[in-house]
Amino acid sequence: MNDNEYRVVWGKSGLYTLETSAWRTFRPQIDYSKCVGCGTCLLYCPLCCIGKADGRIVIDLSYCKGCGICREECPKQAIDWIKEAR
Amino acid sequence: MNTVDYLASREDLVSPGISACQGCMAELSLRVLLKCLGRKTVLVVPPGCMAGAGVGGWNKSMGVKVPCAMPQLGNSASMLAGIKAAYDLVDPDVHCVAYAGDGGTADIGLQALSAAAERKDNIIYVCNDNEAYMNTGFQKSGTTPHGASTSTTPVGSLGRGKLNFKKDVPMMLAMQNAAYVATLSPSYMADFVAKVQRAAQIKDGLVYLHILNPCPTGWGCQGSRSIALGRAAVRSRYFLLYEYRDYRFEISAPTRAVREPLDVGEFIRGQKRFAHLAEADIDEIRRVVQQRWDKLSRLAAE
Ligand SMILES: Cc1ncc(C[n+]2csc(CCOP(=O)(O)OP(=O)(O)O)c2C)c(N)n1
Ligand code: SF4
Ligand code: SF4
Ligand SMILES: [Mg+2]
Repeated sequence: MNDNEYRVVWGKSGLYTLETSAWRTFRPQIDYSKCVGCGTCLLYCPLCCIGKADGRIVIDLSYCKGCGICREECPKQAIDWIKEAR
Repeated sequence: MNTVDYLASREDLVSPGISACQGCMAELSLRVLLKCLGRKTVLVVPPGCMAGAGVGGWNKSMGVKVPCAMPQLGNSASMLAGIKAAYDLVDPDVHCVAYAGDGGTADIGLQALSAAAERKDNIIYVCNDNEAYMNTGFQKSGTTPHGASTSTTPVGSLGRGKLNFKKDVPMMLAMQNAAYVATLSPSYMADFVAKVQRAAQIKDGLVYLHILNPCPTGWGCQGSRSIALGRAAVRSRYFLLYEYRDYRFEISAPTRAVREPLDVGEFIRGQKRFAHLAEADIDEIRRVVQQRWDKLSRLAAE
């Protein structure tokens, strides 16, 4: 590609992505026996990597930075904090 | 639809992996902003944490799934006004949005912003206020609060943090009759989303959204605490949530709900940038917080 070409990318290819999951020292894990599905963690995750699937709240760990906001904000203390083995 | 289901159903238009710090609220606010505005958006992101974190892309890749350009630090509003004028010929419904830091807004870009308000350019100018020039190493900006220690207002034998008070940019824009002004906090998501949705509907002039985004690295606190800090900022009336439209101020629900405000000290403690403050210094901040609340209450009562 010519250096002068300006490219607007609308998909995953060509999207700048950093493997931020490597930053984690701990990872969040939802304890479904305590989770009431309120979605507070989904609202506040700075990466928006918490979603809903089949009515359940699920965390996609592919880029999760392990900031701990989901765990801190969960009103039911339903998020376990698991040390990453490195 | 409730806020959780709404946000879960919207497309995240920011790259999943950008290098904003753990717990950075500027990242959350940007993602939610673009979720609400959708793909018919053109973005400008001046130098600052968000551009540096990859939102503006690197080399030939993009950091967002909408067109994005990086203006200079001081000319976001004027560059965006030009982009808007061009889009108006093609499709006036394209949202032309700036996501600029407080340094790029309150100091360096203020003249361009004020001129855009004067011209009634129909752009959406969003100030990501993390209360300092964070990307270049925590230098004091116009919106840095009184007393905060930064790399240019250090604490030592002479210095005691910033001497002056926080510049009130949203109030300035309201006094200049921008078409719509709102203050937002990511800790109050329903209010945040409603204001962005309202902003998207405004067609008669400049829209100015001012977001207080806690910055764990610059403020000196745990990344996991940034939502809680944003909440304390609102509950203590350190940061007031309101809207301005059609010559009227309206205090927003989360701020209206504060009957017994939290002591500002609760917001200040737990942040390293304020660690040196004595009770008398905190009293100064309390005084200004009270004055700003009194002023807003009077304006909203009119
Ligand atoms: C005219 C000009 N002066 C200085 C800089 C260097 N610079 C790049 S980013 C930045 C910090 C911007 O701070 P702010 O707008 O608050 O955004 P933040 O990094 O806090 O998100 C500075 C000073 C520049 N790019 N242009
Ligand atoms: S730890 Fe942080 S980044 Fe990871 S899922 Fe929780 S809130 Fe999101
Ligand atoms: S320095 Fe602050 S604003 Fe910048 S990326 Fe880190 S947390 Fe976000
Ligand atoms: Mg800043």
